[in-house]
Amino acid sequence: MTSPLEARSLSLVREGNAVLDGVSFAVQQGEIFALLGGNGAGKSSTLLTFLGFLEPSGGEVLVNGASVSSDVAAARNAIAYLPEAASLYGHMNAYENLDYFLDLAGKSAGRSEIDAALERVALPPEARTRRLHSYSKGMRQKTAIALALLRETPILLLDEPTSGLDPVAIDEFHDLVKALATGGQTILMVTHDVYGACQVADRVGLIRDGKLVGSFAAEDGERIDTETVHAAFAGRGVA
Amino acid sequence: MAKSLSREIRFLSKDKGAVFWLALAFTLSVIAVSFGVSEVREQRETIATLLEEDALDRASALEGHEEWGSAAYYAFHFTYAPPSDFAFASMGQRDTAPWKHRVRMLALEGQIHEADTRNANFGLVGRFDFAFLAASVAPLLLILLLYDLRASERTARRHDLLVATAGASSRLWLPRAIVRVGALATLLLAPLWVASAIEGTGAGMSLQASAIVIGSLLVWWLIVELVSRINATPSVLLTSLIGLWLALAIVVPALSKFAIEAANPVPDGGEILLLQRETVNDAWDLPKEATMEPFVAEHPEYAAHAVIEETWAWNWYYAFQQVGDQAAAPLVQQYRDARVERDRQARLAAFISPTSFVERSFEKLAGTDALSMIAYEDAVRNFHEELRAFHYPLMFPEAPYDEALLEDLPAYTPPS
Amino acid sequence: MSAVTRIAREEWRLWLRSKVVIAAALIIAVLLAATSFLTIDRIASEQSQRLEQQVAAEQTFFAQPDRHPHRMVHYGHYAFRPPPPLAMFEPGVDAVTGQSIFLEGHRQNTAMFADTKAAADLGGFAALTPASLYQLLLPLLLIVLGHAMFLRERESGTLAVMLAQGQSGVTLAMGKAAALLGVIVIFMLPLIGVAAFSVSAGESVLAAFALAGGYFLYLCVWGAIVLAASVILKQRAVSLGVLIFAWLFAALIVPRFAINTSSAAIDAPGKIESDLVMLAEQRKLGDGHNAADPAFQQLQAQVLEQYEVETIEELPINWRGVVASYSEAELTDLLNSYTEERMGLEASQSRMFDLFGIASPTIAISSASRTLAGTDLATHHRFLREAETLRFDFVQALNQAHAEQLDYTIDINRSNDAASSQRARINAASWQVLDEFRFEPDRADERLSRSGLTLGILLGWLFFAGGVAGFAARRVKI
Repeated sequence: MTSPLEARSLSLVREGNAVLDGVSFAVQQGEIFALLGGNGAGKSSTLLTFLGFLEPSGGEVLVNGASVSSDVAAARNAIAYLPEAASLYGHMNAYENLDYFLDLAGKSAGRSEIDAALERVALPPEARTRRLHSYSKGMRQKTAIALALLRETPILLLDEPTSGLDPVAIDEFHDLVKALATGGQTILMVTHDVYGACQVADRVGLIRDGKLVGSFAAEDGERIDTETVHAAFAGRGVA
Repeated sequence: MAKSLSREIRFLSKDKGAVFWLALAFTLSVIAVSFGVSEVREQRETIATLLEEDALDRASALEGHEEWGSAAYYAFHFTYAPPSDFAFASMGQRDTAPWKHRVRMLALEGQIHEADTRNANFGLVGRFDFAFLAASVAPLLLILLLYDLRASERTARRHDLLVATAGASSRLWLPRAIVRVGALATLLLAPLWVASAIEGTGAGMSLQASAIVIGSLLVWWLIVELVSRINATPSVLLTSLIGLWLALAIVVPALSKFAIEAANPVPDGGEILLLQRETVNDAWDLPKEATMEPFVAEHPEYAAHAVIEETWAWNWYYAFQQVGDQAAAPLVQQYRDARVERDRQARLAAFISPTSFVERSFEKLAGTDALSMIAYEDAVRNFHEELRAFHYPLMFPEAPYDEALLEDLPAYTPPS
Repeated sequence: MSAVTRIAREEWRLWLRSKVVIAAALIIAVLLAATSFLTIDRIASEQSQRLEQQVAAEQTFFAQPDRHPHRMVHYGHYAFRPPPPLAMFEPGVDAVTGQSIFLEGHRQNTAMFADTKAAADLGGFAALTPASLYQLLLPLLLIVLGHAMFLRERESGTLAVMLAQGQSGVTLAMGKAAALLGVIVIFMLPLIGVAAFSVSAGESVLAAFALAGGYFLYLCVWGAIVLAASVILKQRAVSLGVLIFAWLFAALIVPRFAINTSSAAIDAPGKIESDLVMLAEQRKLGDGHNAADPAFQQLQAQVLEQYEVETIEELPINWRGVVASYSEAELTDLLNSYTEERMGLEASQSRMFDLFGIASPTIAISSASRTLAGTDLATHHRFLREAETLRFDFVQALNQAHAEQLDYTIDINRSNDAASSQRARINAASWQVLDEFRFEPDRADERLSRSGLTLGILLGWLFFAGGVAGFAARRVKI
């Protein structure tokens, strides 16, 4: 069985610096995999190679078993991407933004479907016709997630999805992500938030200096132990 | 594609900045075209009035003569180059070169260089006509519409999301740019088409003009496209593009002009005049043969009547006027040749400046380019030639004065 | 005060590290240098050429042989307008008007052979002069340098730090203004150089100084506009877009719009048009060549009475000369009234154009610049008037010689045969009546007072833009 997302000995050199060095992992369908690492560890670059924005210098990345470099459009088509501090258009309201981006993705959705998605991300109805200028960071994030939901892609890439959100919003977000995975979506998120990663992910990969240095999996319905991961992240304890 | 375009049209309509630039383009086009139409009408009215007054003046000037020579001396003839039905779009050289002269049978060189032009400031600053708008302002507007298509999305950290969502970047940037370029071209050209309909401009002419505008916008689009692939901040991109615009719209034309004019000197116009005047004035003191010989060389058919016995005679007077023109003719030819050559080289140089190219193409379409002005001068020369051809047979030898024959005085027809 | 210089110094450090800024400044400096040298060279050679031509024209006139005086009236003379020294910076209308004029009896000719007539046509901007570079390009340089000057501090968060440290937005703005002022001062140097050179070529210090001052004012206006935009606007792309629009509007659109408007609003008829109207009137005056014209009957009666004789043959002077002189004076009055009217209309068109300076500082400086350099329309009009005076004086002096030195009987019989024609001449010494003509620019104080309006408008712009920038800086928040 092919994994929806797979990195094989992925290496990446940017402006002479090795950003990623022989990173390999695979994310199974319905799994939430969190790449955990500090600033500049190479997390976001990993996401960008799956989207075809960065070309691997060595190894390869595969989406649904196919190499991204061979068919970028197919890869992007299968993936919904939530960038860090996702910013949609400030001069349009939530409906207009979603209409626009869905159309861009070659999809269309009726008002009721959009409302259902916005309901799921808990964006208050009275906010939906306001321009995004006036939104809080959390509300903007919710709109962007709604876009990812509406695209109904099998794969979701999340780049620091909870940074800047308040604790309540983070909890809501984590519940949503888990529900999506339960629904069969494959989710790869990158984060530097140890607690969040452990709370939501089925598996956590620890990345440091472009290398995957540790892997922690949840067992028997238990969450991954935060202390262990934190110790590994901080360089204490054994990977 | 149609779906992408309609999406991007909706998107554009919500972008206040872009809508502002497009509205500005439309407003400027309306202004340029309306000024142009009213200017052309004014010039037509002026010509109509002058034709009328000229006929009246000539009729009264022709009264009560007893000799052909004095009738010819007092009768002026109005010549003009009417504005074409496309001149409203480009006044071109009509603002600096004369398009009307009143001439009579005296030496032509003393008359044809008169400049009945407008306020000197007009020629200096230039007019806001459609050609200027399309050539110089429209590229700037295009730059402002397109330069940050990608860069602004990058700055807003939306770029990756947009491209990832669209799959291929061609589904995003191309429709976006097409919509903007298309909107700009349509809004610029719509007033031109309306004015062309009003002025009765031929469809072929409007199509050519539209093709020139669209072609130049495409060239500028290509330039913007190439530059904006550089991964730089929007302000650096805009600065570079404005720099390119300056180079192509101002510096390159100025350098070409300087080089062309330095390489093709024109004779000092004053020399033409001086030579012609000196020849005419000297003739008074010279033996009559000194005038009649060169005259007969030009007009052998009057050789039999070329011996002037009197101390003063009209036919001798007109002969030395003609000899004055003859003496200046080589210089005049040089002056004309240099102008034609400068224009030919300017046409070539315009290929490296889209701005010059558009202005020159519009002038050519509108018949307001340098060659059209030279063609007008040629028409005046031909007409003057006809005047002489009409009078000489009546003067060599002097025929009895018959006012009725003046009905057949040549009438000026403008170059088409 | 040290905070201001500190801020200015930091701004400069930033500029000097930016390739874009260095490249832009270098390109403009090279263009400025090249244009200045070319223009100085061209104007200097034109100046000496015109002067030589003027002297040559006078010598040719003096060297004419004994002739009938009326022949010399038609032989004519030339007036040349050499460019004033400051034309090496601002050639102004000279290229469009033509710089020489043929002067003869009974006619007022136009200035002929303008450079533009034979110019290679490459579209609207083709002629570059040092003045047009200062007017068009330097504001763009200031925009490129300064559009993000203030808002950069906001973007990077340093504004909040500075304000928290107790510095005011005004101090910061003054620091930025000082930095921009430094750029302006540096780019004033080429102009000051050209101005100094023009002084050495005979220009008055006052005019050269005023011209440099006017441009300094103009560049400061743009500096203030740029500063105001960078204080008020929050995003650098927006600031740059708005400033480019302001430039497009002020430098390209408004001047041409002003030309269209002033020509549409004030209709100045062309020369042919007014000539035709005039010709109708002129016919009433009679023909100066024909002394038997009925229009001269009254004059004849008057002159006969004055000399107490019965017939024109008995007059101690040549009647034909009297008639020529009388009709020349009458005709000149008429011609002048039409010329003055046309020039008046053109002058009011120019005034209207100048008033558009309220909408565009570029119009204000370009008018002030032409006026101060002595290459404006008013100077050209004065040239036309002085050339007309020269024309009228020599024609009338020749007519006087005609009346006093040539016998009437000899004169009317001049066409009988070659010998009579030979007799009907006067001594070539009479040609010395021609005045020496050296066209001089207006006095510097006159030029300065004529440019008062446009310089005032510029000053108004500076107060307005500076005021807006200061006001915005005072209210600046994070």
